[in-house]
Amino acid sequence: MTGLVGRPVARVDGRVKVTGAARYPADDPVPGALHGFLVTSEVAKGEVTDIDTSAALAHPGVVAVLTHRDMPRLTVPPFPYLKGFIPMQDTAIHHVGQPVAIVVANTVEQAHEAAALVAVRYRAERPRVVIDDAAGPPHLPPPFRNRPNEIKRGDAAAALARAEVRVEARCSSATRHHNPIEPHATTAQWDGDRLTLHETAQGVNLTKGTIAAVFALPVENVRVVAPYLGGGFGAKGPLWSHTIINAAAARVLRRPIRLVLSRAQMYTMAGHRSEFRQHIRLGATRAGKLTAILDTTTAQLSNTDEAIFNASESARLLYDCPNVHVRQEGVRLDVATSSYMRSPETTAHFGLETALDELSWALDMDPVELRRRNHTEFNQETGQRFGSKHLLKCYDMASQAFGWSQRKRKPGATKDGDEYVGWGMATEMHTFGAMPSNASVTVGVDGKVVLRTATQDIGTGTYTIISQIVADAMGVPLDVIQAHIGDTALPVAGLSAASATIASVSGPVDRAARAARDAVVGLAVADERSPLFGVPADEVETRHGHLIHSRNHQRRDSYRAVVSRAGEPVEATGSGPNLPGLSYGVVFVEVRVHARLGSVRVTRVVTAHDIGRVMNRRTARGQVIGGVTWGIGHALMEHTVYDRNSGRVVNPNLSTYLVPVCADAPPALEALFVDEPDPGSTALGARGFGETPITGVPAAIGNAIYHATGRRVRDLPITQDKLL
Amino acid sequence: MRSFSYASARDSAEAVRLAGRTPGAAFIAGGTDLLNLMKDGVQHHQHLIDVNKLDLARVTESASGLRIGGLARMRQVAEHHAVRARFPVLAEALLASASPQVRNMATMGGNLLQRTRCGYFRDTGSACNKRVPGSGCPALQGWNRGHAVLGGSESCIATHPSDLAVALTALDAAVHVLGPGGARRIPVGEFYRLPGDTPQVETSLRPAELITAVEVPRHPTARRSRYLKLRDRATFEFAVVSVAAALDLRGHFVRDIRLAFGGIATKPWRSAEAEAELRGKNLTVATVEQAGRVLVREAVPRQGNEFKVELVQRALAELLLDLGGLR
Ligand SMILES: Cc1cc2nc3c(=O)[nH]c(=O)nc-3n(C[C@H](O)[C@H](O)[C@H](O)COP(=O)(O)OP(=O)(O)OC[C@H]3O[C@@H](n4cnc5c(N)ncnc54)[C@H](O)[C@@H]3O)c2cc1C
Ligand code: SF4
Repeated sequence: MTGLVGRPVARVDGRVKVTGAARYPADDPVPGALHGFLVTSEVAKGEVTDIDTSAALAHPGVVAVLTHRDMPRLTVPPFPYLKGFIPMQDTAIHHVGQPVAIVVANTVEQAHEAAALVAVRYRAERPRVVIDDAAGPPHLPPPFRNRPNEIKRGDAAAALARAEVRVEARCSSATRHHNPIEPHATTAQWDGDRLTLHETAQGVNLTKGTIAAVFALPVENVRVVAPYLGGGFGAKGPLWSHTIINAAAARVLRRPIRLVLSRAQMYTMAGHRSEFRQHIRLGATRAGKLTAILDTTTAQLSNTDEAIFNASESARLLYDCPNVHVRQEGVRLDVATSSYMRSPETTAHFGLETALDELSWALDMDPVELRRRNHTEFNQETGQRFGSKHLLKCYDMASQAFGWSQRKRKPGATKDGDEYVGWGMATEMHTFGAMPSNASVTVGVDGKVVLRTATQDIGTGTYTIISQIVADAMGVPLDVIQAHIGDTALPVAGLSAASATIASVSGPVDRAARAARDAVVGLAVADERSPLFGVPADEVETRHGHLIHSRNHQRRDSYRAVVSRAGEPVEATGSGPNLPGLSYGVVFVEVRVHARLGSVRVTRVVTAHDIGRVMNRRTARGQVIGGVTWGIGHALMEHTVYDRNSGRVVNPNLSTYLVPVCADAPPALEALFVDEPDPGSTALGARGFGETPITGVPAAIGNAIYHATGRRVRDLPITQDKLL
Repeated sequence: MRSFSYASARDSAEAVRLAGRTPGAAFIAGGTDLLNLMKDGVQHHQHLIDVNKLDLARVTESASGLRIGGLARMRQVAEHHAVRARFPVLAEALLASASPQVRNMATMGGNLLQRTRCGYFRDTGSACNKRVPGSGCPALQGWNRGHAVLGGSESCIATHPSDLAVALTALDAAVHVLGPGGARRIPVGEFYRLPGDTPQVETSLRPAELITAVEVPRHPTARRSRYLKLRDRATFEFAVVSVAAALDLRGHFVRDIRLAFGGIATKPWRSAEAEAELRGKNLTVATVEQAGRVLVREAVPRQGNEFKVELVQRALAELLLDLGGLR
């Protein structure tokens, strides 16, 4: 064992990324590719009455302009296509920014310029785009992917009525966009009935199946390639309509076409986190035991789909409570389709963890103690005992590191210069997915090891961790390993969403590597030319690329020598079942609120997480830094603004949609891990983690602001004006 | 973006000549605003005249004050020793602007002429009187959190986004220009115009006029001057509210004072009335609060920007009490 798994190994793809050698999907050279640019609807509701493409067609370099009049008829594919309709199939307009034409030209600049020359006329109706303007009351949408939107356990209303202590909170949150730094990009290349897509996809196989359905192609006719991704945050998980339109245009024109969304187009074409309302009520005993949770939420829905992504998972699962009533409602509005966004539970979790904080004040009980009293070792819905859950240890570790016992039990009690200082905390929870996956490992005659699996690295460190796994399983150094991922030509693997990557691929990669090792050992002990000839295979150890007789270290061979003597590469495969599950943690934050100006700074954060075995401390810590920063954005600044009259997004750019900058990140951040392998894990003791460390951050910040100032803000983001 | 032609001018006279000759021409300096506007289709120019080669990037100090070349970069001016020592409000306003990368590129002239960040102005799918005169102003009833409470009209309530311009307004600076009609000097107070019913006209610059320099006079208030900028994130963001103050104090007695404000008005806002409340009086919490009340007396807040009326008064108090050593 070289024991790389668990160590803070630096990214193996770091060099190619910082030198620009890494090829992202829009960088892959595709000979003869034309460039597409979409013309999108200016109005939010109504229909296209006329499109004049003559000026655009006359523009130098323009090859074609396609509209609903000349697009082929296409089949709306099933999940994970979320949009419910394919644009440019008819004249109806469902939201601002809906594609109405695609201009195809020899250069990007020509396509862009000509797109402005397409004259579109609309019959426009007055849109409704924010929850306040909804035409009617919210409704309960049908189950989404078999998950009902109303869940009841016990009798929550009755228990609330009987409760010794009650709290009630109404929370709200603005629309948010993912804003990965790499824009969505797609290149479609047809060869007869075979399609290759260079696609910014979080899951190449998922995208492959979906696009095949659109064109009624046999799945094996499609190849999707995405070796690197410049962030996704959920936006690049589902297939979106621009990919379909671009592929259809490429088929019509019989030429490859590359299409890159503009930043502004990303605010209407590739999902978002819905505007959200939450009415939460808690009932408890005076001793702090929860007796009732009632959680009614309202999400902004489009007019063409009814999926709710801001799920109230934690209200159902996080605490021991016999009476729970969750109702996830929606209102249909003239906006684009929403989707998964890191982490979908965050919005509703804010209400739960805020209400718990309010309950702790009502009970005059420490908020950590309140959460301990409601801790459960059992899955609240199945009744099954969790195999491995160390949340209580997280509370211990983080509260001690933070110095929580020094907290003053009175709001507004600590002032440092011009600022009030406040401490807050929240529990974190995330349900992670896992998808069946496969991997292959090949040892070449040069001793190099090639790992193949069609998973993704969306910036989270997959390349590094799967290389660590191979190194440990085979006893080879990292630098002989090359990982190939992000291509459907590789063994099928799950997507990088729902924090599922490590949970999905670790087991299969490990099995493939062990099988390759065993195959090479088998060759060595059977080969007369090997110093290990005749040694029982189970007495061979592998270290640093060598095969060594465990009883006599002088007898040794190497991967390179064995395979080169064999004259041909050795290949082995691995696959395996994968189990979804839950990851936990806690976040403590310190904020400073300017006494007179209301500006908020997050100055100190301590987290502790139970994620099973920590595969790589550096990348795990990276997820915490990213998650905390993302949570700061969610709590204090990010919001998408719709103009209520026109339905347009008014801040579709990174200069007015504010994401945190370095100076907003906390100057001190400590990321602790329990690091106990989960015996039930199918991933070498690890669990999914990536989205977990944002979930509690917004509530912890809101709770800390209350502790600092005595003011409870339940409407996110908490901008300065709300604290004047 | 539409295609355009490009020429690089060798000297100011040539730049002006080229600009005068081609209708719809624009100067390009750092390009940090102009190119965004052109890419987004907000502005179109058939011809760009690159002025980066002109010898207009010097900062010189004389007995009468500073002369800053129109092409001096934001970073260069912010780091200049005379600016930091004797006109601190200017250095602070520049350092509180944009990001190091933008400040390395962006120039004085370009900064003063940058366009508003009003989201409707920068979205060609929206109506906007400033971009398309007569098309309407959706900000009046729409998203106006970033908009002005002073100096607005029923045509436009967009703020001017420059921090530099606010500091220069507090310093009584003047803008030197060269145009087809020759050179002239425009006091900064007359450089920017209120929107009235022509919000598309933002300055008193005439066609083809080039900003050659900014002149900052020496003044007893300049040395004790400071800039306070409040915004929605820690850096790299325009002002929600900003205050530039320059004070000549004897003890707590205000011999002279100059106050300018950003984020609250349609142009860099100088308030003679607020200054008058303090000049010749002692700086106290009461006089400062009175000056704040006078400042916002004529404010016309809208739904999304009402908080600015309160916030700017607090920001003013914060800065003055700090500057006067009262905190
Ligand atoms: C992300 C971002 C954040 C920013 N944040 C801030 C901020 O916080 N505070 C702030 O004050 N600014 C901020 N800015 C704006 C920035 O300061 C301006 O973009 C910059 O100063 C413009 O200077 P430039 O030289 O690049 O001008 P250009 O973009 O080259 O030109 C701008 C305009 O000025 C004209 N022009 C340029 N030079 C001359 C001249 N010498 N004579 C006549 N006309 C001329 C051009 O024709 C054009 O119309 C930000 C910009 C960005 C992109
Ligand atoms: S405030 Fe001015 S710039 Fe903004 S939309 Fe109205 S007219 Fe246009």
